[in-house]
Amino acid sequence: MKPGDWLACRVLVTVGTGGVGKTTVAASLGLAAARAGKRVLVMTIDPARRLADALGTGPLDHEPREVPRERLREAGVTGAGTLAALMLDTKRTFDELVLHVAPDPAARERIFSNPIYRNLTDALGGSREYSAMEKLRQVHVEGRYDLIVLDTPPASHALDFLDAPRRLSGFLEGQFLKVLLHPAAVVGRASLRLFRGGSELVLRGLERVTGLEFLTAISEFLLAFEEMLGGFSERAHEVARLLRDPACGFVLVTGPDLQQAKSAESFWQRLQAEGIQLVGLVLNRVHTWPGAGAPPADDPREAERAIDWLAHALAERAPDVDAQSSARALVAATRAQAALARRDAVVRARLEGALPLPAEAVRAVPLFSEDVHELQALTRMAELIFGERGRA
Amino acid sequence: MTDLLTQLLARRLLLVTGKGGTGKTSVAAALGRLAADAGVRTLLVELGHEAVLPELLCAARPLVSGDPRRDPQAAGPNLSTLRLIPEEALLEYLELQLRVRALARGIVGNAGFRRFLEAAPGWRELITLGKLWHLATREDADGRPVWPLIIIDAPATGHGLSLLSAPTVILDTVRIGPLRRNTDLVQTLLTDPTKTLVLIVTLLEELPVNETLELRARVRGLGLALGPVIANGVEPALALPDAERVLAAVAGLAGADAPSPLADPVALCASARHRLGRARMQAGFLDRLEREVGAAPLQLPWLERGVDGPDGVGELAACLRTALAQVASELGT
Repeated sequence: MKPGDWLACRVLVTVGTGGVGKTTVAASLGLAAARAGKRVLVMTIDPARRLADALGTGPLDHEPREVPRERLREAGVTGAGTLAALMLDTKRTFDELVLHVAPDPAARERIFSNPIYRNLTDALGGSREYSAMEKLRQVHVEGRYDLIVLDTPPASHALDFLDAPRRLSGFLEGQFLKVLLHPAAVVGRASLRLFRGGSELVLRGLERVTGLEFLTAISEFLLAFEEMLGGFSERAHEVARLLRDPACGFVLVTGPDLQQAKSAESFWQRLQAEGIQLVGLVLNRVHTWPGAGAPPADDPREAERAIDWLAHALAERAPDVDAQSSARALVAATRAQAALARRDAVVRARLEGALPLPAEAVRAVPLFSEDVHELQALTRMAELIFGERGRA
Repeated sequence: MTDLLTQLLARRLLLVTGKGGTGKTSVAAALGRLAADAGVRTLLVELGHEAVLPELLCAARPLVSGDPRRDPQAAGPNLSTLRLIPEEALLEYLELQLRVRALARGIVGNAGFRRFLEAAPGWRELITLGKLWHLATREDADGRPVWPLIIIDAPATGHGLSLLSAPTVILDTVRIGPLRRNTDLVQTLLTDPTKTLVLIVTLLEELPVNETLELRARVRGLGLALGPVIANGVEPALALPDAERVLAAVAGLAGADAPSPLADPVALCASARHRLGRARMQAGFLDRLEREVGAAPLQLPWLERGVDGPDGVGELAACLRTALAQVASELGT
């Protein structure tokens, strides 16, 4: 799919390992869509303050913040397009979920005052991934935007968020939970027959290891959740469907480093196994060769000739500088640039061979010499990804 | 005052973390190599989905000894690696606690329990720390620690914080019982500044630097001690004192008949400007880190050939040794 067509999706998800510029790519995808006249929301997990400054939204938080009209005009949004951004807040997402699915105020209070819930929601692993998915579902259902761009949590657990909905529903529908929720019933002999899978034995074994208090705390927590389990489970399935919908496209973001390229390849395999649609690849922070043609091969003798020629030329034109050492430094810089450009071209070819994407779906963005957060730089990135006009 | 390297190596646990993509694994591996070369028996622990350290540290695939899912594997003199697998550590823990292997296996093999584990948050973090505690406290027949130094290639910021805060969460919710007792032991080790240090690796760019500063505050809030910030991938400066005048002269050569694409004036100017811009940006972030942390970061250079095997790790370890020798400060108080 060529970049112009990515914008026809209702949801675009940027994925990749940490440090490849996912957040920036997500923001520039959003900007390009706004330039194409769409109402766009970018959801990020990064507390990217300078991104917020560039967009003029003020500090990002849990509610969408609109980018002011004049900033949009500066960034080439001339039509009806709008752009908003929000930063995911795990704790608040969970709180809202509880507010929506709790059957009555008493049930709500039981959850909010449970010590495990209070700690669980913002500190423990897995909850960030789950809340990102839940927030996506909420915003999608509200239907206020033509396109939602989701910048996924980074980390070595990179694609855990895909599992979050399934994991939760698998557990909620399982037998073990019932045993945990009704330990009294399990202790009764009559019910033992119901649990041939051995859950009761498991529970007794665990009790010896963790102590009764912990199991009781977990049971109380889950008991408090029981009333809303149906709601949770249903939502988890809904998100799983949304991610596999043809209107949802994943954009893989990677850097030109071999390790990064290798993880991009394993990402791709994982997405494919999950039945998820990959629409494109953004190869970010690529070293380009600024001269004509392809970057030259490395040749020390040729470098010496280049230095001699340059030193002579400089001595004539700038007699008061140290021509020899300047020429040496300059040619060393070009040689390094050529070496990096060659290396990046090899990695790019490798990725193009490994991923079944048409050539137009692979977009390279050069490494800028400054961080890409100023509005202009975001605009430039959008134009690089979507072609010169960026208004497809 | 002893030098920084000696102070670091006197710790029992070094947790290496930072934003994704900053080179945590390479730095952890280099630190392990440095420690082993200094004669400290070192265990490098990784927590990812697949083992990358053996390949990074060993030229040839090392021989497997014991059970690679549980037992550290030799990666050179004084140096071993272990990929810590939470599921396996949980089984090991249950076996130790229940003293009946079949019962532990029965629990872990139970389909309902497996689904519970998939959904339940937090246990991976807890069991990971428990296993680290177990490794750190194991002693040989003479009562000396089996692993005097354990270096952990910890997860990036978000998951790293989840890992470090897991004991606090348990201590807040559980007041008695074996889980409480074990968590107390783990937390005591983690929050002892003479034993445990957190090292944050960063790049000299906006987002990693912001994240480093926030992470430091959070780690300190959890009661853990911090080591020096490690600035990785520092790009070499361009030795061009009269940059503007030289570049103006080079620009004036446009159209001249250069003998090589390496002397193409356009390529020369663009490459030089790119390097100057990067160097300016990096210097700015170095200053900011030094100002806000109150100490100069350790600087590791960007290595042209990358760190993808034992040679690269060796090169980075040598740079780390130099960087550590240049900083004189008292650690972790």
